[in-house]
Amino acid sequence: MSKKDKISELTNILSKALRHRIGSIVNEHEIYAERYSKDSDTLIKSAQDISLGENWSIYDKAEIKTLLKKKLQKELEEKEFINEKKFKILDKELEKVLLFLELN
Amino acid sequence: MKFVHKVSKGSRFNQIYIPKEFENHFEVGDLVQVELLEKNTKLYYSKKIELSSFKKRIIQEIFSCLNNLKSISQIFVFGSFITKKADYNDIDLIIISDIITEKQVYTLLLEKLELKFHILMIPESKLKELEKICPLTRSMLYYSISNKPFFLEKERVIDKNHINFLLMMPEDILKLNVDGKTIYNALRRLETIENFLNNKEENPRKIEKDVEKLIGEKISCKLKENTPLAQEETKRLNEIIKSKLVKIRKK
Repeated sequence: MSKKDKISELTNILSKALRHRIGSIVNEHEIYAERYSKDSDTLIKSAQDISLGENWSIYDKAEIKTLLKKKLQKELEEKEFINEKKFKILDKELEKVLLFLELN
Repeated sequence: MKFVHKVSKGSRFNQIYIPKEFENHFEVGDLVQVELLEKNTKLYYSKKIELSSFKKRIIQEIFSCLNNLKSISQIFVFGSFITKKADYNDIDLIIISDIITEKQVYTLLLEKLELKFHILMIPESKLKELEKICPLTRSMLYYSISNKPFFLEKERVIDKNHINFLLMMPEDILKLNVDGKTIYNALRRLETIENFLNNKEENPRKIEKDVEKLIGEKISCKLKENTPLAQEETKRLNEIIKSKLVKIRKK
């Protein structure tokens, strides 16, 4: 798989993982976010497997961030049942996951 | 001179009576010491569950340890610890409380029992609501043991947003490469949601059997053990997930 393909797959998985995480934080009934965040954790682990096998330059990292933000924005827009507060915490959660994966 | 007796309920204070045969030994004004030998912790079963005395003792210890915390209104033990013989990783707990944090409960239990716990905190006001709207909560509580009597709410209320939220993972699986266990869990979730929408019991044991019947024993084992699937098998599973999603969406 080329680096470009990896960036694409990585951002695909992460955008979905973050959508789960943000949803579990902002939706009123997802009160036991920790339980559902297992969904998000499962996906982040898959992303980690892809990320660890590659040496990312600062340009790659910048590209990952830009692409991820774009995809996450789209994911959240599509899921209307996730509370509108979702856009307020988008950046914070995005930064957190990039930091965790050492992609910041 | 000593005797063992139960503490009884008094109108103002709880009390321990001195047995008749000891009345000459323990007289008014004598100095005595009272020591707790065993907590009286009752177990309330949601359904008939066969438990070894070892597991019963562990659950009693959990309840006894947490009973002292007044901010906890109810405790539930659920999941594989009580439904499987040996195939469990941790002990799943639901703690009903508005004040105490998961970390506080975890630290307390870890200190006392040195076991692995998975704790869900639910505010008291939310429990009844979740019982009505959440298929996964209903499935968790189907086989559970509590420190207080508990009856699962019969009424089911469809909250579309909540159902949509639960369906996100099965939908994502169709677009991503995930491991077998994640696929298996998604199938169980779909089956649970379907039962909920059809007003059927969310019995996790039955749901597992139904999933196995649906995908076959061989694939079921592969998924549980995270063994890679053949392309044909993945294709078949994706078809099953898709058709379940369509069925659920039509409800």
